[in-house]
Amino acid sequence: MSAVLDELAAGGVRLAVPLLLASAGELLSERAGVLNLSVEGMMLTGAFAGAAGALASGSAVVGVGAAVVAGLVVALLQAVLSVTLRADQIVTGITINALALGGTTYAARLWFGDGGAGSVPGFDPLPVPVLRDIPVLGPALFQQSALGYAAFAVTAVLAVAGARRTTWGLAVDAVGEDATTADRCGLPVRAVRYGVVLLTGATSALAGAQLALSEVHSFSDNLTAGVGYLAVVAVIAGRWRAWPTMLACLFFGTAQALQFAAPALGLHVSAPLLTTLPYVFALLAVSGLVGRSRAPSALTVPFVRGT
Amino acid sequence: MTLSLAPPRLLSRLRHPLSLATGAAILTVGVGAVLVVAAGTDPSTAWAALDEGMFGSPYSVGTSLNSAAVLALIATGFSVAHRAGLVNVGGEGQLCAGGLAAAATGLALPVQVPAAVGIPLTLCAGFLGGAGWAWIAALLKTRRGTSEVITTLLLNFVGAGAVSVAVHEEGLLRQQVTSSETLPQSQALAEGARLPLIAGAQSPATAIVVVAAVAVVVTAVVLRYTGTGLKLTSVGHSPAASARLGLPVSRLQEGGLAVAGGLAGLAGACLVASAPYVLAEHFSSGYGFTGLVVGLLARGSLTAVAAVSLLLGFLTSGGINLQLAAGVPASSVQIVQSVLVLLIAAAMLWSNRRAGGTV
Repeated sequence: MSAVLDELAAGGVRLAVPLLLASAGELLSERAGVLNLSVEGMMLTGAFAGAAGALASGSAVVGVGAAVVAGLVVALLQAVLSVTLRADQIVTGITINALALGGTTYAARLWFGDGGAGSVPGFDPLPVPVLRDIPVLGPALFQQSALGYAAFAVTAVLAVAGARRTTWGLAVDAVGEDATTADRCGLPVRAVRYGVVLLTGATSALAGAQLALSEVHSFSDNLTAGVGYLAVVAVIAGRWRAWPTMLACLFFGTAQALQFAAPALGLHVSAPLLTTLPYVFALLAVSGLVGRSRAPSALTVPFVRGT
Repeated sequence: MTLSLAPPRLLSRLRHPLSLATGAAILTVGVGAVLVVAAGTDPSTAWAALDEGMFGSPYSVGTSLNSAAVLALIATGFSVAHRAGLVNVGGEGQLCAGGLAAAATGLALPVQVPAAVGIPLTLCAGFLGGAGWAWIAALLKTRRGTSEVITTLLLNFVGAGAVSVAVHEEGLLRQQVTSSETLPQSQALAEGARLPLIAGAQSPATAIVVVAAVAVVVTAVVLRYTGTGLKLTSVGHSPAASARLGLPVSRLQEGGLAVAGGLAGLAGACLVASAPYVLAEHFSSGYGFTGLVVGLLARGSLTAVAAVSLLLGFLTSGGINLQLAAGVPASSVQIVQSVLVLLIAAAMLWSNRRAGGTV
C-alpha cells in the first residue's frame, strides 16, 4: 500500500513539475493583463530546441540554453503581437500554438529523421541522501533531476518576487488591473507586459526542456500534448494567486498520476474522466462555486495611451 | 493632415483590407516556397501536388468543400455571439457536445428509420447539444458575471473529455468490445441518420455543404434585416443602454451564445453523420479552434466567413496531397496557415487606422 502511495506521490509531482514552471510565469503574465494561450507553443518549442540542442552539442545543459532562447523567441512574437500591435490575444495565442506544432513537427522530420530516440543526452535523477528515505515526501520531492530541482527553485523565487507585497508584484497587478492609471503613475506599462511575457516564454521553455530532457530523453511530434493549456488552466483554477495555483498544479499532476496508480489501488476509474477532471475543477473555481474569484480587470485588454 | 509624411491617398490604398490580404498572401506563399525547398522538393512539383489536392478531382473538391462547411458553421455561430458582444472561444467543446448528442440520437434510432426522419432528428440533437453546452457559459455570464472567454475555453476541454469518456465506456456509447483490438469508438449510426452525398458517387461532398450555406445566408439576413439582429447589435454595443431601452439584455446574450453553440453543435452532428459514421475521440480534428480563427478574422462579415472558410478548407486538403504526392510534410501547410493568420491579425491595427479613427 505504501509503495503505491509513494508511486502516486512521485508520479503526481513528476507530472506537476512542468505545470509548476509554466504556470509560475503565466500567473505573472495574466496578472499583468496578457493571456498567453501560447504557453503550449512556447513549451513545445522549448522541448524541441532542448532536444535538438542537446543532441547537436552532446550536452544537456546546452540543450536547456537552446530551449530558453527558443522559448524567448516565441514569447517575443507573442509580446509584439499582443502588446505592440494590440492584436487579439486569443487568435494569436491559438495560432502561435498551431505554428509551433507545425514548425516543430516539420523540423523534427528534417533533423531527427525517425525520432533520434534514446540518443538525446538528458538529466538523470539525483536522489538527495537521507531526505529521499522520508516516506511519500522522499520519492516525491527528493528524486528529481538537476533540472527538476532548478524548477522548484525558479517557481519559489517567482512566487516570492512576484507576490503582492513586493514592488514588482504591485507593479504587475497595477498594470493588469488598470493600465491607464498605472501609466499615469509612471509605471512602464508596455515594458512590464513585455517582461512578463518573455518571462513566461523562459519558464515555459524550461518546462518543455524538463519534459524532453528529464522525462523522455527524446522529442516526438506534439510532445507537450496540451500540458501548456493545462498550465493556463491551473492559473485560472488558482484564481490568479500563487499558492492556490501551485496546489492546482499538484492536484492536476496527481489526477493524471492516478490513472497509472488506480489499478494497483484496486480502483476502477475511467482514464479520460481523470484527464477531464482538472478542467471541471477550474470551471467550478472560476465560476465562483468554489470560493470567490475575480479575473484581472485588464486581462486580454491591450493598453493604448490617451483613451 | 497636411503634415502626413507619405501621400495620404497611397497610404490609404495600402491600408485597404484587399491590398493587405494580397500582401499577406504573397508573404505567405514565400514562406511556403521556403518550406518546400527546405524539404528538398522541386517547387513546381509541390505546386502541382497542391493544385491537384485542391481542385484536381471531384474527390479533392468535395473534401475541401466539406471542411470549409464545418469551418463556416462554427464561424457563423461565432459571428452571432460576437454581434451580441460575446466572444465564443468554445466552438471546439460545443462541436463535441453536438457530436455526442447526435451520435446518441443516431444510435438510438431504429435501423429502419427513414432518412426524412432520421437526418433532421440527428441534426436537431446536435444543434441542441451544442446550444446546451454554450448555455452553461451563457448562464454563468449573465447570472454570475464570469467571463465567457474563460468558461467557453475551459468547456472545450470538458467537452472533448466527455466524448472520450463516452467512447471508452461500454455502458455509454462504446461499441461492443469483442477483442483487445476493438477501437474506442461508437458503433456506426443508423442508415437513416447519415448525411446523403450531393454531387454523385465520385465526390465526398455531403449535405453539410447545403446546411452550411443555408446557415450563412439565413444568419446574414437575420442579423442585417430583422429586429432580432438589431437588438443583438444594440446589446453588443452597450448592454447598459440596451437595458434602459427595455431590451431583455440577459436573454439576448444567452440566446446569442446558445445559437453560436448550436451552430457549432450542428457542425459536430454533421461530422458524426458523415463517413465513417461513428463518434470517436478527436473526431473534431481541431475544427473548433480553426473555426474560431475564421470567425475572428472575418470580424462579423458573413461574406468574409464564407471566403476565409473556403480558403482554409481548400488549403488543408491541398496540404494533405502535398505530403502524399510531393513528400513535403503536411505540417508545412499548418505553418503556412498560421503565418497567414498571424500576418492578418498583426495588420489589423494598421488597417483600422485607415478610417482615421482611434482603434
